[in-house]
Amino acid sequence: MKVLVPVKRVIDYNVKVRVKADGSGVDLANVKMSMNPFDEIAVEQAIRLKEAGKAEEIVAVSIGVKQAQETLRTALAMGADRAILIVAADDVNTDIEPLAVAKLLKAVADEEQPGLILCGKQAIDNDMNATGQMLAALLGWAQATFTSELEIENGQAKATREVDGGLQVISVKMPAVVSVDLRLNEPRYASLPNIMKAKKKPLDEKTPADYGVDVAPRLSVVSTSEPATRKAGVKVADVAELVSKLKNEAGVL
Amino acid sequence: MNQSALSRPEAASFAPAALLAEALPAVEAALEEGRTALRAKVSAGARLSNAALETEQHAAHCLAWIATYAESLRQLSGWADRLAAEGAFGEMESLLLAIGAGEYLAQLRGGLPMSQGELARLSDIGASAARLSTPAIDRLVAEGNTDANRRRLVELMIERKGAATYGATGLDEEFEMVREQFRRFADDKVLPHAHEWHLKDELIPLEIIAEMAELGVFGLTIPEEYGGFGMGKTAMCVVSEELSRGYIGVGSLGTRSEIAAELILCGGTEEQKRAWLPKIAAAEILPTAVFTEPNTGSDLGALRTRAVKQGDEYVVTGNKTWITHAARADVMTLLARTDPETTDYRGLSMFLAEKPRGTDEAPFPAEGMTGGEIEVLGYRGMKEYEIGFDGFRVKAANLLGGEEGQGFKQLMKTFESARIQTAARAVGVAQSAMETALSYALERKQFGKPLAAFPRVYGKLAMMAAEINIARQITYFSAREKDEERRCDLEAGMAKLLAASIAWANADNGLQIHGGNGFALEYPISRILCDARILNIFEGASEIQAQVIARRLLEGN
Repeated sequence: MKVLVPVKRVIDYNVKVRVKADGSGVDLANVKMSMNPFDEIAVEQAIRLKEAGKAEEIVAVSIGVKQAQETLRTALAMGADRAILIVAADDVNTDIEPLAVAKLLKAVADEEQPGLILCGKQAIDNDMNATGQMLAALLGWAQATFTSELEIENGQAKATREVDGGLQVISVKMPAVVSVDLRLNEPRYASLPNIMKAKKKPLDEKTPADYGVDVAPRLSVVSTSEPATRKAGVKVADVAELVSKLKNEAGVL
Repeated sequence: MNQSALSRPEAASFAPAALLAEALPAVEAALEEGRTALRAKVSAGARLSNAALETEQHAAHCLAWIATYAESLRQLSGWADRLAAEGAFGEMESLLLAIGAGEYLAQLRGGLPMSQGELARLSDIGASAARLSTPAIDRLVAEGNTDANRRRLVELMIERKGAATYGATGLDEEFEMVREQFRRFADDKVLPHAHEWHLKDELIPLEIIAEMAELGVFGLTIPEEYGGFGMGKTAMCVVSEELSRGYIGVGSLGTRSEIAAELILCGGTEEQKRAWLPKIAAAEILPTAVFTEPNTGSDLGALRTRAVKQGDEYVVTGNKTWITHAARADVMTLLARTDPETTDYRGLSMFLAEKPRGTDEAPFPAEGMTGGEIEVLGYRGMKEYEIGFDGFRVKAANLLGGEEGQGFKQLMKTFESARIQTAARAVGVAQSAMETALSYALERKQFGKPLAAFPRVYGKLAMMAAEINIARQITYFSAREKDEERRCDLEAGMAKLLAASIAWANADNGLQIHGGNGFALEYPISRILCDARILNIFEGASEIQAQVIARRLLEGN
């Protein structure tokens, strides 16, 4: 079985996000970028399936700016076999919308014929949480989202999903799109020998035009703003004053 | 706080990288003047006079330090050129260069610190500081290390907080991927525990060593045919930096294997290479270096531990000390005297002496071997020991290279690598001090503002970043020279000398930013201070390092 793993280059989770002065978006100039952490979990899961003898080949694919090459090299260094980069933007501030990404991924899936697509449940930059679901719909495949445990057996993917109030276990027919959640696994570090091997693994570069997909935006960002900053607290003299403030000023009692 | 110092209209034409390139010939000329003058004082005919060199030790060490600054400025300039060619020399890089070069040039003119109480001046080596009064140097000194530049640099550092390095390193993508992976490993597995290991004086857990082995740390520079990964010294520097940033003990685990492997690679027989290197690469065996004795530290050639051949074994008698990680190690690279007729380096031989792994309760369960722990301020995690040998036996087949009397020469061949690696460890410790101090300076508020808003605090942080960049560049330069198989003992020594001193300055200033809290054992900066202190001492104390550098400069043409 071939496993397709889409990976996105996003602002690093350690970096303090700054909004551009004009509110048009997040300032990404000179900011550290990394692989979306949920996608890392997807890559790790694909490698584990390969190590368990349940997958033969792992293809990582990224859609975005040319620099996403680095993200794909990381996937290759972790253990993916080859990579496809679809250069769909020149400007690091251009975010390709989920529907366009899903259409491109469908085109890649049509070509590659994977038995399973493992993707992150969402990207930490815009939290859309849409691509995996759209992709499953476009392909007409089954989907299992928010997966925190996964077993592949007899053409079925058994997924444990983290839902409100508990866990839900579902079984879906393969091929399927499985989107992964935080607790599925702990991604490995790429070892030195694997980083060296990654250099020699194939990385194909494509454009959206190669797949006949239009990536022009359909959505427009109205405004972006930082969360309200926390206001300074006050000191109270005693419990009575605290209760009074909670009751009369905060109105929570 | 928003005005960029470099974009102010009156400073529009201030191009520090171009000025530095223009400044270099005058620095070279001043250095050459001093070198020639000092050489005349310490030569007897065509040779150096050891007696004269000792009399002129202060001046000679001044020469070493001044030459180290000159080399640093050269490497800083080379770094700027390479980045500019890639279009990657941005505002932060420009500020790092302006502050670093401006300050180093000012110090070259007025006096640079060899230690807190000893300054090296051009007049000490008979060179004229007036040579450094050129328009380019005047301008860099006046406009480089300014308050506005320091403030702007720290502003950018705060914006990019969490970045692995402040400013582009100039290394290619593959090395940065290595950095990224090891930085993450250190953040996840090392940093959260380092302070506790230190406070409890615990050995670094074997699981950490196993994970490092899986990542390829111990076989990094060992050739593939001997079970390693054949990566160069630059990769080794990046790994050592990031691991030492987590904890100096973890960064130094790699050093022990690196040095043992290098010894065997340079001096071992083919059979010894095949037997030992794959096991070192896989961390199946942990090595330790057994050289120093109670009465021989820097004067290693005079050591007295004896190894006497009896049949197909050598019997070892003598005392050794400052043996790092001795109890848990499986093999000792042991330097001992095989020729009792000698008193200098010529009668020494190197052994690959096997020993059983010990525990805290029974550290040395081998016949003819006893020892105890030396309690230390910092650089814990592997523990230091003194060892006594009395009839300890080593197989004759484990004489390195199969030939007696080669030990010192074999060891010398590893000095370049050991110094490059130690410089990289120092860069990691310096980085850790800077990151810890920056975080504290942002969290801690006094007089209604974070500490980082005060000039004396951001000024310290800016200088830390500027000097780390300089130390990195001279270290990477030595690594590249080594990879190109060019002699680099001079540059490697300079990198070690400077990086160690910078690590200590960063740790000390980092603690100062913490105020009283930094003096509390609870705060990690207290450990970083203790860890940084060793760097000026081990792998060639600063004074020995300066001596070796000075000798090379005075001998060479």
